[in-house]
Amino acid sequence: MCLSTVYKNTKSPDTVVMKNVMSIECKDGCVILTDLMERSVAIEGHLVSANLVDGFVIVQETA
Amino acid sequence: MHLHHDHIGGHSHDHEHTHTHEHTHDGVAHSHPHAHSHDHDHVHPHDHDHLHDHGAEHHHHHDHDCGGDCCGCAGSCNHTPMEELVALMKYMVGHNAAHAKELADLAAQLEKAGSHTAYEQVMAAVSDFEKGNMRLSVVLSSLDVK
Repeated sequence: MCLSTVYKNTKSPDTVVMKNVMSIECKDGCVILTDLMERSVAIEGHLVSANLVDGFVIVQETA
Repeated sequence: MHLHHDHIGGHSHDHEHTHTHEHTHDGVAHSHPHAHSHDHDHVHPHDHDHLHDHGAEHHHHHDHDCGGDCCGCAGSCNHTPMEELVALMKYMVGHNAAHAKELADLAAQLEKAGSHTAYEQVMAAVSDFEKGNMRLSVVLSSLDVK
């Protein structure tokens, strides 16, 4: 139920894709992120991990 | 204002490509994500004016309601920092209320388990928590009216 920060490939400050993410949908080979302001970003790739305690998610982008 | 991305099914492309999402925008602050429709039957919403490392032809279309005019939508698609802070604040207040309820439920379970002292202490913490959240609500109300 907490908002998350989504990182691409690895968790570091310069790989942040989106902050305050409220929903994540995996569809058609893409991971679609939507933030609190209802902005969406899609990354072609897959979900690697979601840490729901610390509020971060890692997405692996398809090379 | 809000993006409505339309993911088209079928996603059967077999080419390989990479996207470089990092970009600059001729000095214009312009960071809204939006949908890009590719020839191969799916869309990739992401920031634009980026470089595509592969040579594939792309048809970019914008699904947000600024008419597809990138220059014109910088002001209409982006929320102001204050709007974002208020939205975050609203979320936090609601979120805290939900957590307060969860703590109260936890306290009830402690009492059920025979720990009345723990129950009382957790409920006192819930009360403090709610007071803090009330203070946040008041701040939020003052921000909302401006």
